[in-house]
Amino acid sequence: MLDNAHSLRAFLPELIVAGTVLAVLFVDLLARRPHVGRAAALTAVGLVAAGAATVMTMRADGYGLFFGLIARDPLADFFKLLFLATNLLVVLISLRAREATDESAAEFFALTLTTTAGMMLMASATDLLTAFLSLETVSIMSYVLAGFRRRSRESAEAALKYVIYGGVASGVMLYGMSLLYGLAGSTSFTAVRLACAHTPAAATVLLAVVLCLAGFGYKIASVPFHMWCPDVYQGAPTPVTAFLSVGPKAAGFALLVRFFGGSLPAELVGAPAPWPILLGLIAAATMTVGNLAALAQTNLKRLLAYSSIAHAGYVLLALCAGGSDGTRAILLYLVTYLFMNLGAFLVIIAVADAGIGEEIAEWRGLGRRAPWAAVAMAIFLFSLTGLPPLAGFFGKFYVFAALLARGGSLMVTLAVIGILNSAVSLYFYARVLKAMYFEAPTVDEPLPLARLHAATLALLAVPTVALFLVWSPLQRFVDSSLGQWYPAEMRPRSAQLDRSVKRSSVQLANTSATK
Amino acid sequence: MIIGLSHFLVVSAILFGLGLLTVATRRNAVAILMGVELILNAAALNFVAFSHYVEGAVTGMVFALFIIVLAAAEAAIALAIVLAIFRHFHSIDANDVSTLKD
Amino acid sequence: MTRATSFLALLLVFLGSGTAAADEPAVDVAPASLSFDGPGTRTLELRNPGGAPLVIDRVTLAPDASGFQLTDTGPRTLQSGERVQVAVQFTPDARRQQAFGGLQVHAAGQVRGVPLRAGSSWLLTLLIFFPLVGAALILFVPTGRHALTRAIALATSLVPLAASVLMCLRFDRAFSQATGNGGLQFIQHVVWIPSFNVEYFVGVDGLSVTMVLLTALISTIAVLASFGIDKQVRGYFALLLLLETGMLGTFCALDFFLFYIFWELMLLPMYFLIGIWGGTRKEYAAIKFFLYTLVGSVLILLAVIALYYSSSPTTLVDGTPARHTFDMVKLAYANDWEGKGLSLLGFDFTKVVWVAFFIGFAIKIPMFPFHTWLPDAHVEAPTAISVILAGVLLKMGTYGILRVNFAMLPLATQWAATTMAVFGAINILYGAFCAFGQRDLKKLVAYSSVSHMGYCLVGMAAFTRSGFNGAMLQMFNHGTITAMLFLLVGVLYDRAHTREIDRFGGMATQMPRYAALFGFAFMASLGLPGLSGFIGEVLVFLGAFPVYRVITLVAMSGVIVTAAYHLWALQRVQLGRWNESWRDRTIFNDLTARETLTLAPLAAVVLVLGFWPLPMLQLVDNGLMDLLRHVTGLHGAGTLAGLP
Repeated sequence: MLDNAHSLRAFLPELIVAGTVLAVLFVDLLARRPHVGRAAALTAVGLVAAGAATVMTMRADGYGLFFGLIARDPLADFFKLLFLATNLLVVLISLRAREATDESAAEFFALTLTTTAGMMLMASATDLLTAFLSLETVSIMSYVLAGFRRRSRESAEAALKYVIYGGVASGVMLYGMSLLYGLAGSTSFTAVRLACAHTPAAATVLLAVVLCLAGFGYKIASVPFHMWCPDVYQGAPTPVTAFLSVGPKAAGFALLVRFFGGSLPAELVGAPAPWPILLGLIAAATMTVGNLAALAQTNLKRLLAYSSIAHAGYVLLALCAGGSDGTRAILLYLVTYLFMNLGAFLVIIAVADAGIGEEIAEWRGLGRRAPWAAVAMAIFLFSLTGLPPLAGFFGKFYVFAALLARGGSLMVTLAVIGILNSAVSLYFYARVLKAMYFEAPTVDEPLPLARLHAATLALLAVPTVALFLVWSPLQRFVDSSLGQWYPAEMRPRSAQLDRSVKRSSVQLANTSATK
Repeated sequence: MIIGLSHFLVVSAILFGLGLLTVATRRNAVAILMGVELILNAAALNFVAFSHYVEGAVTGMVFALFIIVLAAAEAAIALAIVLAIFRHFHSIDANDVSTLKD
Repeated sequence: MTRATSFLALLLVFLGSGTAAADEPAVDVAPASLSFDGPGTRTLELRNPGGAPLVIDRVTLAPDASGFQLTDTGPRTLQSGERVQVAVQFTPDARRQQAFGGLQVHAAGQVRGVPLRAGSSWLLTLLIFFPLVGAALILFVPTGRHALTRAIALATSLVPLAASVLMCLRFDRAFSQATGNGGLQFIQHVVWIPSFNVEYFVGVDGLSVTMVLLTALISTIAVLASFGIDKQVRGYFALLLLLETGMLGTFCALDFFLFYIFWELMLLPMYFLIGIWGGTRKEYAAIKFFLYTLVGSVLILLAVIALYYSSSPTTLVDGTPARHTFDMVKLAYANDWEGKGLSLLGFDFTKVVWVAFFIGFAIKIPMFPFHTWLPDAHVEAPTAISVILAGVLLKMGTYGILRVNFAMLPLATQWAATTMAVFGAINILYGAFCAFGQRDLKKLVAYSSVSHMGYCLVGMAAFTRSGFNGAMLQMFNHGTITAMLFLLVGVLYDRAHTREIDRFGGMATQMPRYAALFGFAFMASLGLPGLSGFIGEVLVFLGAFPVYRVITLVAMSGVIVTAAYHLWALQRVQLGRWNESWRDRTIFNDLTARETLTLAPLAAVVLVLGFWPLPMLQLVDNGLMDLLRHVTGLHGAGTLAGLP
């Protein structure tokens, strides 16, 4: 654990991001004519610099910063790189959007940067205070981002619904956190863990955790705290939706991993804690509600909103499974989810930029009018369904593998619910494909896309398709991020394993000899 | 009577409940935000009470200060959004704001 | 700019793979793998890359590395930078030309694997992935150059056909499990995703060799039959070639993960092929097909993962120890599932997993009651796609049951055998009666497919040599016969734009050559002795009768209904008086050269195999006998009911 002065060096990535925020705003203020390109370039440079700082100050062990408020460990570094990459891609995505006009680009990028800084803190939080503050930072910035399009009614409505929902959710979460603080006498996660394990008031622990889950669940849009999601995703400007669907959701999961993995004990006063069942119920409900509600949607953004609710459900399954398998599944799923979800929203942006709206009916015949956009959308939609060999399949595979590795009736039941949901989700993804490919367009002229959009689409689609070829290095990276949390399981192939191999072959030889 | 921890907890629980009730039943957007403030203050009260009776140190009170700051920031943003809503819908009734629907 | 960014992205992905965090290897091995071209000795060099002295405990061969010998295995200490040589010798068996094994270097508490391979064959990889090359080429053809696209597609599909014929000719018919390598030939086996114990393992044995040939043949014929497509030609042929890769890969894959990827890879192109180029209700048929098969596939996925996590520790092909395995051969023959005594959801583990696999494969067969997707998919799909669907895709269900359910879970298969036979009989009768009631010729043929696949199920469930051989032959023969049937229906539809049987009559007077082939195909389909359809059916009945008397009798009565609807359809369409509702008789021109070219090879195969099935039986017999012995648990002579 480091004190304030020594922590600054390890805090460099976040400081760089914060510095970039100031730089972007300042430069915009001082310039004679504000310019999108300059703001974007500055943002990108700052993000890349923060990423480089993260990589260069990475260490294999973890340690506390600022007297234990934050942790700097490989898990946090993984998420930081994920968030920086998300923001960088969103900068690319939003360059031609209405939000990034010359006048407002600097504010837009500054807001997204601040959200990223908040998300980076969420992934590093080891204290209730940091968790709350970072969550609120991200939330408040998100409210403003949702309402960024000042002249749009939908945007304002989205922002209102978001702020009301978010305010209540974080208030409830705060109440739960206060109860946890009362049980523990300290706000650090380790103290909360010890207190929960030894306190006789198991009901209070349960109540407090459920209340906290209100806040975390709202961030990841899980049932029953998902009501804001469709409206906000539909009303907010699409680049913002893309950002919100990936960044804060992943940050919410990072916080959940820390909360449940680092903070909540598996046992309450000697009896097994009900977290798997609780999380399992929430996960099952989230997947099912998300998929079923999506079946009826005709607006693409709303459909993708419900789909992202369902995907949060799949990741929650992995959280249920827990352990090294489950956490690895969460991390890998979020990586694949980044590409496919950003990609799907980018197609909507690109096509909207060329004049087509967000209703599925307007996308009829897109396969003929904008073939490469349609192909990209097909790739992203099939990846979201989870068809091999696209990246989405691997994410789901790891989730189900984690569930089955954990074993037990609850996990197997959840796995069955999960795969059935996966199959059901095909139906509404295929509806978009049906409109694009099977139906004739109302106007049969080609729809040219902006070159920037086409290039960014390629940047997102290629990894979605090709990630399976280089899956091993990605998994090794994720394993090394978890190496500190689960040291035993992440060690490379050991001689112990070889001995168990020999043992099992001897056993089999004996059984076949006795047949 | 000696004011103990339980009294504080009961008061904050009542505040929490009232806050939730306000959010759930009121239609005026500003009133809903007032409900949110009530919830946040209930939590802050909890923190201060626990800080004094359970911990004996000031962590909870520091937390309460942070809550006040955050509540203020959130209220500022929220009211700005309500202003934007008014400009578009000419009403701050939450039920009137429903163009986005399933 | 898009293309540039795509290449840049691809480059970044691969670069990222290189620079991503890698474990520090404790010992450097050069070369990274050893390949032998024949008997001989090769040396491996171990080096200590680190600063401290490295203790190498021992260097051994993995337990299943047969054919390889190691000379120096003792412990030694290597100083920093010091090298040591290890000699490996390979002596092939008389028959077994391929060997795959691993060398294990035990050092510093870790085990480093070094793959050893001899006689690794690239034939299957070429066969599987060559269509992708064609698909990629087609995407570069400028729009509108239909002839060029068709030429490329045809040329591309001929390569797997040639390769599979070569493979059948070079296939060692006496090769069985006793010979080695699990009875597999033309193997290629390398590690793919080490962190999840996934390998690239392809090979063929008696179960799959005929299927590969069938797939290649039907795909080429389908490409020929697709020359009539005139909208979005490039997309069509690209998807068709992608589908071919998926099908060939499924039959050759022996790693469960790889198998599943190829299995799912088939769904995508089929969805688009039916949905874009299909008939009036194409969207409905396409999504129905996709949803049905996807539900089956995800059940299979869960079962695969369940088996994986319960599998015993073993080694990967390079010798690295692995806690679990996806290797289908090891899962079948190196894991005693019943002995593990596991339970899932309160039931016996093996039975639950067996049912999950079975449902997934049964949807493909299609077995009653999961068959309802088939009539819609067949009727709405374009002719060539129906040919592929009925000719190849349906066989994947039964192939999967043999490769997975039978081989991996033999005791559970014994438990479910009677149920399988019953469902097979239901298929036969239900399909036959439904076909009888059809007014649409294509739907009639579709239901006849449902019916004919029932014979395979009955044969498989009988656990006799004749039964197995009959089922396998029926799979191949039905593929060729039903392909002919759909092509013939397609010929008629191209001219008349209707498939209603009542609208036709006396076609033989106008299209004699067509009528001849039509009659030939229908006779083959109803099982006329002398044509190949008879062989499969009779072997199935001979094999099943001793075991399931009643069920076989019921199934045989299905033959009567089958004959009835075939003859009825033949008579209504080809014979009798010309249907006067056709004003213009000239639209019914006789078979064109291209159409004859698609039908003739199939007709030849059907005819030859009808009176000379021996070559095919020889190909499959050893593999099936191995499977039979494994399923029945009798490792001696086995139950040999029926013909040799």
